[in-house]
Amino acid sequence: MSATATCPPAETTRHRVDVAFGMAIFIGAWSMAFLTLFLSFLIIRHRQPQWPPPGVMLPSLGLAAAGTAVLLASSVALHAALRRLRAGARGFSARWAAGLLLALVFAGLQTALWTGTWRAGAYPDSGIYEGLFYMLTWFHGAHVACGLVALLWVAGAAARAGAPRLSTASSVAVFWHFVDALWLVLFVGFFLV
Amino acid sequence: MRGGTTIETVRRPRAGLLGALPALLGLLLAPAARAQDVVHRWAPNPPASSYGERFDHLFALITMLIGVSFAIVLVLLVVPVIRDRARPGHKASFDHGSSLHDKRFTAIVSVVVFVVLDAWVLWVTMKDLREGYWNIPRPDVPDVLRVELLAQQWSWNFRTPGSDGQFGTADDIVTLNELTVPQDRPVVINESSKDVIHSLYVPDMRVKRDANPGSINELWFQPVKSGDFQILCAELCGYAHYQMQGKLHVLPQEQYDAWQTEASRIALAAWDENDAEARWAWEFKE
Amino acid sequence: MSGDHIHPRPTSFLRRYVFSTDHKVIAKQFMWMGFVWLFVGGVMAMMIRWQLAHPGVPVPLVGKLFYPRSSGAVPPDGYNTLFTMHGTIMIFLGLTPLMIGAFGNFCIPLMIGARDMIFPTLNMLSFWTLVPGALVGLFSLFVPLGAAEGGWTAYPTLSSTIGTPGTGETMWAISVFLIGASSIMGGINYITTTVRLRAPGMTWGRLPLTVWGLFFTSILNVLFLPVIGSAMILMVLDRAFGTSFFVPATIAHGGGGDPILYQHLFWIFGHPEVYILILPAWGFVGDLLSFFARKPAFGYKVTVGAMAAVTILSAVVYGHHMFTTGMTAMLGESFMLLTMIISVPGEILFFNWLHTLWRGNLRLTSSMLFAMGVIFVFGLGGLTGIYLATISTDIYLHDTYFVVGHFHLTMAASALFGTFAACYFWFPKMYGKVLSERLGKLHFWTTIIPLTIVFCTMFVSGYGGMPRRYYDHTGNPYTAELQWLNDITTVAAFVLGAAQLLFAWNVIKTVAGKRTAAQNPWEVGTLEWTVPSPPPHHNFDSIPLVVTGPHEFSNPAIRDGKDWIYQTEPLAS
Repeated sequence: MSATATCPPAETTRHRVDVAFGMAIFIGAWSMAFLTLFLSFLIIRHRQPQWPPPGVMLPSLGLAAAGTAVLLASSVALHAALRRLRAGARGFSARWAAGLLLALVFAGLQTALWTGTWRAGAYPDSGIYEGLFYMLTWFHGAHVACGLVALLWVAGAAARAGAPRLSTASSVAVFWHFVDALWLVLFVGFFLV
Repeated sequence: MRGGTTIETVRRPRAGLLGALPALLGLLLAPAARAQDVVHRWAPNPPASSYGERFDHLFALITMLIGVSFAIVLVLLVVPVIRDRARPGHKASFDHGSSLHDKRFTAIVSVVVFVVLDAWVLWVTMKDLREGYWNIPRPDVPDVLRVELLAQQWSWNFRTPGSDGQFGTADDIVTLNELTVPQDRPVVINESSKDVIHSLYVPDMRVKRDANPGSINELWFQPVKSGDFQILCAELCGYAHYQMQGKLHVLPQEQYDAWQTEASRIALAAWDENDAEARWAWEFKE
Repeated sequence: MSGDHIHPRPTSFLRRYVFSTDHKVIAKQFMWMGFVWLFVGGVMAMMIRWQLAHPGVPVPLVGKLFYPRSSGAVPPDGYNTLFTMHGTIMIFLGLTPLMIGAFGNFCIPLMIGARDMIFPTLNMLSFWTLVPGALVGLFSLFVPLGAAEGGWTAYPTLSSTIGTPGTGETMWAISVFLIGASSIMGGINYITTTVRLRAPGMTWGRLPLTVWGLFFTSILNVLFLPVIGSAMILMVLDRAFGTSFFVPATIAHGGGGDPILYQHLFWIFGHPEVYILILPAWGFVGDLLSFFARKPAFGYKVTVGAMAAVTILSAVVYGHHMFTTGMTAMLGESFMLLTMIISVPGEILFFNWLHTLWRGNLRLTSSMLFAMGVIFVFGLGGLTGIYLATISTDIYLHDTYFVVGHFHLTMAASALFGTFAACYFWFPKMYGKVLSERLGKLHFWTTIIPLTIVFCTMFVSGYGGMPRRYYDHTGNPYTAELQWLNDITTVAAFVLGAAQLLFAWNVIKTVAGKRTAAQNPWEVGTLEWTVPSPPPHHNFDSIPLVVTGPHEFSNPAIRDGKDWIYQTEPLAS
C-alpha cells in the first residue's frame, strides 16, 4: 500500500471489530455512570420515610408509558434498518428515518412530561422526589439529545453517499439501544415501582 | 554515556553551584531560631483513657514489624548497588524467575509476610476493637455518663442530662467548647452536627469520631486520669476549622459531684421555656 | 489506521501542532501541560508550607500579588483553597496528563508495534477536553467568593452551598467532570489499541510491563471515572439547582439525601484513582529495573498477575478512608481485611523488583536511580499504610499529618519518581536529545533526601496528634508543642521545591539544545528503540514481526557478545 492510497480506506471487517470493541468499553463506562446515579436514587429513596412523599405532584405516568413504547419502537426500527444495511442497504434509509422520527416523538413526549411538572410548580428544589425525578430524566435526556444528533448525522451520511459506513451506523444504533435500556430501567424504577 | 551518545563536556563547578543553590535557598528561608519557651513534643501524651494504651502498644508493634521489613528492603537495595555495579568483565546472572521453585518461593514469602505483617496486626486490632473501642457500655451499665454533642461551625455544644437523667429537660447542663466528666466512669457520647461534618478528636483519650449532620454517631471512652485535655476538630469544616477547639475537664468523683450540683443549679435558673433553639436535644441513641 | 496503511503527514500548522492526531505530538502536549501544572501545584505547596511555618506572615515574592487584602499573608479561606487546589491540580492536571496522557500516548503504540492509537481523532479530543477542564479550574481561582475550599475530597455539606457559597466550588466540580471525561476517552483508546493493534508476534506475554501498567490503569479509568463524574453531576445539581442529594433532611426541605453517600461515591472512585496513579509507575519500574540491571524482570507473569489482582480489588477496599464516619463494625472489619489483602500483591511486586536487581549488572543512570527510588519511597509509604488500614490505630491517625505523609510517599513521590524515571529514559526517543546525566543524578539526590525528611517528619507530626488542613497550629497549646516539626518540614520542602528547578533547567536546556542522541542510547530491545530518535510520523516503515520478549538481557543465547537483543531478533536456538 502506498502513502497515496485513498484515506480512509474502504471499511474492513477488522475495523468494524475495532469500533465495536471501543463502543463496548464506552457503553461499559457509561453504564457505570448511570449505575452510580441510579443506585444513589435507590439509596436516597430508601431513606425517605414514605415514597412517594405525601403531597408531592406525580409526573404523568401516561406520558412516560407512551414514551417507553415509542422509544422501544424506535429501537426496533433502527435494528431493522441495520439488518437491511448488512444485506446491501436497500430499505435502510426508510427504516432509519422511521427510527429517527420515533426518537423525535419520544423527545417531544419527554418535553411534554417536563412542561407538565414545571407548570404544576414542581422544580428541582421543590423536594427530594422532584430533585430525583429531574436528575434521572435530565441525565437521560442529555443522552437522548446526543443520540438524536448522531441519528441525524447518520441519516445525513445516508442521504449524501447512499449508505453510511456499517461501523458508524452500528455504533449509533447500539448507543440508541443503550439509551433505550436506560429508559426502561428508569421507567420501572421510578414510575412503576 | 554508553551506547553511542556524544560524551558531555564536564562542567563540574557549575553543577556544584547548582546543587548548593537549593540548600542555600532553604537556609535563607529558614525561620529564625525559636525561643525555647514551648515544649518540643514528638509523641502523644501518655494515654488518659482505659483502652487508650492499646493504641500505643499496637503502634509500637506495627513500628517494629515495618522497621524490620524496611531494613530488609534497604539491605536488598543497597547490596546490589555496591556488589553488582556494572564494570568491565562483570555479567548479570540470567534468570527469568519463572521456574516452579521461584513461584513456590514467592508464594511462601507472600504467606509469611501476610501472617507476620497483616494477620498478626489484624488479630491484635480485632481484640482492641471488640474489647475497647466498640465495646460501648450498654444502657443497663450503671454510672455511665451520657453526653450529647451538637457540633457547629465553629464550636462544640455539649449537653449532659443533669440529675434527672433525661435529655431535653430543664436541668440539662449545656456547655460551649468545654466538657466536664468524672474520672473512672464511662462516658458515652452521641454526636451530630448542625451544619457541616465535623469530627470530635481527643488525642489524649485516643478517640475520634465524625459528627455528621442528619445522623447520630456513638463514641465512648473512660478517663483514667484527671486533668484538662485538648479537644480538636478533625474534619475540614470551613475557614475556622483550625480554631474549633475545646477542653475536656476530667474531675475526680467528689469534685465532679460538686461541679454538677452547681452547674445544674445554674442551668435550672437559666432555663427559658421560649428558647426553642436552646432545646436542641434528641432521644439518646443507645 | 490498522494494517499496513501509511497516512501522509499533515501540512498545516494547526493540524501538525495544535489539533494533531499523531500520538507522539499529543503525548508532548500532555507532557508540557503536566509540567506546567506540576509547577503551579508545587508553588501552592510552597505557599502552604510557608504559612504553616510562619503563620500570618506575608508570603515573600508572590504574597502581595495573590493576597493584597491581607497584606500578602495567606488568609484562612485562601489557605483552604491552596490545599484544595494543590491536591486537585497535582492529581488531575499534573500526574494524570504526565504519566497517562504523555507516556501512555507515546509509549503504547511504539512499544506494541503500531503506527498510532486506534482512534487518533478520539485521542486528539481527549487532550482538547482536558484543556477546558484546566481552564475552568484556573478561572475558578478568580471568582468573587473564592475558589473551591472543601479539600480535593469536597465532602458535603461543606462543599454544598451551606458550607461554600459561590461559583468557585461549582466550577471545581465542572472542571473535575471535564478532566474525567478526557481520561475516559484516553482509557477507551489505550485499551482498544493494546488489544487490537499489537504487531504480529507481540503476544500478551511479550508486552513490556510499561504497557501492562498503562493497560490496567485504563481499565480502572473507564470503570471508575464515570463514578466521580456522576458524583459531580449530583453535586452540581445540589449547588446550582437546589436539589438535596447530599443534604440531610434535617437541613433540607421536602426530604433530604445523605452526605455520607457522597463519601461512598467519592471513595469508590477515589481508591481506584490512587491505583490509577501508581500502576503506570509500577509498569515503568518493572521495565526500567530490568533494562538497567541487564537482567530479565523477575517473575514477569507473577508481576502482571499482582497488578491485575490490585486492579480487581481496588474498588472493594475504599472504606478504609471512612473508618471514623460511623460505619458498622462488620462493614469496617470487612474493609480492613480487604485492605490488608490488597497489600499482598504489592508486596509481591517488591519481591520481584528486588530479585531483578539481585546479581544484576547495574547501570546507575538517572532513570535507574529514580526507578530504584520508587522502591524506597513506595516501601516507606506502603508500609505506613498498615497503621491506617488497622482500624484501632487509624482512629487516632485519621485526618492527621500521618495520613498526609503516607499518601504523599505512596502517591506523589512514587508516581513522580516513576515519571522522572520515564522522562530520563524516553526523552531521547521523544526529542532525539539525551537529558544531562550529571544534572539528573544531582536532581535525584537533591530530591530524595529532602523528600524523605519532609514526609517522615509528617509521620512524627501525625503521631503527635497534629490534625491536617489546619491554617495555623500555634493557636492551641496542644499542637503548638508540635510546631517545631512544621519548621523542619518547611525548610526541607523548600529545598525539595528548589531541587525541581534542576529538572526544569535540564529539560529546557536539552530541548533547546542541539545534541543528537543515538537511536538506542540505553541498549534496550523494546520496539521503540528499533526506530530513529525521534521516530518518523508513521513510526515503523513496515510493521515489525516480534519474536522475542522485552527482557532478554544477558541471555546466553544472544550472539555478538551483546547482553541485549531487539524484540524483532530471534534468540539463537
